[in-house]
Amino acid sequence: MTDQNTTFLWKVGGPAGQGVMTTGLLLSKLCSRSGAQVFDYAEYPSLIQGGHNTYEVLSSTEPVSNRQWHVNYLVCLDKQTLEEHRHRLTANSTVLLDPAAGELPQDTEYTVLPLPLKEILAELKANSIMVNMIALGASWALVGGKKDLLVRLIAEQFGKKGNEIVALNQACATRGYDVVLEQVFQNASFPWLDSLEQYPIVMSGNDAFSLAAAAADCRFYASYPMTPSSSVLSTLANWQNTTNMIVRHAEDEVGVVSEALGASFAGVRSAVGTSGGGFALMTESLSYAGIAEIPLVVFLSQRPGPATGLPTWTEQGDLLLACYAGHGEVPKIVLAPGDATEMVTITNQAFDLADIYQTPVLVLSDKFLSESRMWLDRTITETALAQTPDYGKTVREPSELPYLRYKITDDGISERLVPGAPGTHYQANSYEHLEDSHTTEDAEERTKQVEKRLRKQATYLQNHWQMPEIFGELDASKYVFVTWGSSKMVVAQARTLLDEPTAHIHFTHVYPMDREKITELFAPDRHYVLVENNATGQFGTLLRSEAGVDIKHTIHKYDGRAFYSEEIVAALEQHDR
Amino acid sequence: MIDSQPSSLEFTGYTPTWCAGCGNWGIGKAIELALKKQELTPDSVAMLFDIGCSGNMNDFINAYAMHTLHGRALATAVGVKTANHHLPVLVTGGDGALYGEGGNHFLHACRGNHDLTVVVHDNSVYGLTTGQVSPTAQKGSKSRSTPGGIIERPVNPLLLALTQGATFVAQGFTAQLPQLAELIKAGMQHKGLSVINVLQPCVTFNKTNTYAYYIKNSYALPADHDTSSFAAALEQAQATFAERFPLGILYQTERPTYQDELSQISEQALVKRDRFEDFAKLLGGFE
Repeated sequence: MTDQNTTFLWKVGGPAGQGVMTTGLLLSKLCSRSGAQVFDYAEYPSLIQGGHNTYEVLSSTEPVSNRQWHVNYLVCLDKQTLEEHRHRLTANSTVLLDPAAGELPQDTEYTVLPLPLKEILAELKANSIMVNMIALGASWALVGGKKDLLVRLIAEQFGKKGNEIVALNQACATRGYDVVLEQVFQNASFPWLDSLEQYPIVMSGNDAFSLAAAAADCRFYASYPMTPSSSVLSTLANWQNTTNMIVRHAEDEVGVVSEALGASFAGVRSAVGTSGGGFALMTESLSYAGIAEIPLVVFLSQRPGPATGLPTWTEQGDLLLACYAGHGEVPKIVLAPGDATEMVTITNQAFDLADIYQTPVLVLSDKFLSESRMWLDRTITETALAQTPDYGKTVREPSELPYLRYKITDDGISERLVPGAPGTHYQANSYEHLEDSHTTEDAEERTKQVEKRLRKQATYLQNHWQMPEIFGELDASKYVFVTWGSSKMVVAQARTLLDEPTAHIHFTHVYPMDREKITELFAPDRHYVLVENNATGQFGTLLRSEAGVDIKHTIHKYDGRAFYSEEIVAALEQHDR
Repeated sequence: MIDSQPSSLEFTGYTPTWCAGCGNWGIGKAIELALKKQELTPDSVAMLFDIGCSGNMNDFINAYAMHTLHGRALATAVGVKTANHHLPVLVTGGDGALYGEGGNHFLHACRGNHDLTVVVHDNSVYGLTTGQVSPTAQKGSKSRSTPGGIIERPVNPLLLALTQGATFVAQGFTAQLPQLAELIKAGMQHKGLSVINVLQPCVTFNKTNTYAYYIKNSYALPADHDTSSFAAALEQAQATFAERFPLGILYQTERPTYQDELSQISEQALVKRDRFEDFAKLLGGFE
């Protein structure tokens, strides 16, 4: 168990519509602005009202990349919160609960402090939703934070709503703060900093995709709302006045991807965002993008299927769908960032790759990465965002006439002319075509075009494909973890909990992959452990088919929840026994 | 066989592969005529072709073009127009594509009033797949997919376009080429979504909706037809239920186009503007 003076997990729970998310977000901001590293994770059912919502923040002096099993502080906006989460409490835990919600539990291992939410609301004549501010203030006192920061953050958060609203929210929060202070004998002594030179950047995976897309010159984003990708649509839509991006909520996912291909053909960088079900509808158009060689970035944030599955929960269940999507033999690049910083760099790269290779590039996320908030590496982030786009062989006037859109080249890539250039024309043809883009059924021409398109994958492997990241010493480790996508975060934190030396191979450029280079990473005398948030081990399948590597020891989870890092540790202990 | 150069600035491309007597010939010529009348050239226009006999026009007319997937030409055109609203955008497809496979895109393009011109080759059959019924086939039509006769009644394209918000709705007949060319030109000149439903016999697979059938059952809109009257347009469009087909512009009205309402492109086309670089401003929101 971690020392709660350097790492603690705070969790708030309550009925949907009670402002649980705001309380969590603000507590997280208070922590990160006071010098702590944070990782936030929210859970909610697919309901608008009446469901049980939770938000947890892991706050630490050390880097964190997952939540932790042990809850140090549990703030209950209703009785259900305690019932749902008491199994994660220990003697070190403190629970805040309103006595008005029922008798406080007696003789518990954990400490229970009364937080008279209803009484304070009545006293301050505040609206019932403001229990979230009382809870925020109480929480901030509980973890030993400074009151003035709390008051300032509320002013910043609610400033637009007017002084009266700010004052009332501040009154609720400070009352909550004081009530706790009166009861706590020994204040938590987390080493908060009074002032930071610069606040850290904290955002979710979806925010990171949105930001990187805007900076990467994406001018057209189309989407149909689908959890957990929807916040990209709303974020980019909200930024339109600043970015001048056009953000389209089209009639359905087929329309979404068709519009994006039209915009891309017309010469603007375009992207779509969706989850598995919507992506399934788009696959026909990926095939069109493949043969007509139209750049496209697809943001696919996975959730558990099949079908509607568990809409608001998480799974890494669509990897093989993504890799093999689209009828026919479609050249395609699939990328899977493992945290929010990687989401920035990889999204940035995805737009370049789509232009360079004139083919669909998929950026995979999942609910866990898409909606968890975490620290970003500022230098890496700013460098990626500032990077000048590489538009590849996109031209605004043809370098020679007659212009051949699908000219056979050694690297498989032909000059892509932005339509409207005077003196020539061409078509983005969904039929097999000649070099000049006219339709053909000629066997020889067909063969040449197939080979040309597939050469782009070979060029990509040579010029842009990236080897997996390696953490730790492969040779000096008891276990070598293998991950792709969001499991990176789970394993990174698990490694800090393990006493034995471990290493970690993390794949981002998951498809296609360089067979020879991958094979070299896998030696028979090392113990590899593949960690995947799915039931069937899709990346394991991909490694076998693409690299001939077969990992025997796998850890899976498919209950819709992300792994706790402690679960990885437990699975290894079980294995060792 | 290559009988056109990709750099040719003539509209005429490959020799069409349509059956002798196919209504597509007339529509193809009318489109070419309409483009020429507007002094457009293949490098100054974008054409979206759907899949089917009509869509095969992709190789017969030269232009910056997309030969899309079946049913997707209209949705794809929305993207093209939004990215470069200075390009005239013409969509060509069959009734199967526009009213069947891409029916949802049709509804939403109408209500969005995107600045596009849609020429629908309406022949009541799927010609390229050997004559199965299409959404506009008369009830009872027998075909390879409906040997007992189709149970559904036909889609009414004109009423559909009118009620969903298209701001230019017309009907032409492939055998009346000069009028059809004028309708297509007028549709392209119109700001907003223009639908031109074109009656077109399939001489190979449709033995009901023949030239003779359309000559007998079509009629010119009355000289006093008020194209600004939605009620009058609805009235004329209902004639289709009785297998009577009005020819001409049924309805035309002014409404801001989807592209007009996008402040992002009020000054410059999306494809022309400078890159957004002020990411620091966005980043500040995450500190």
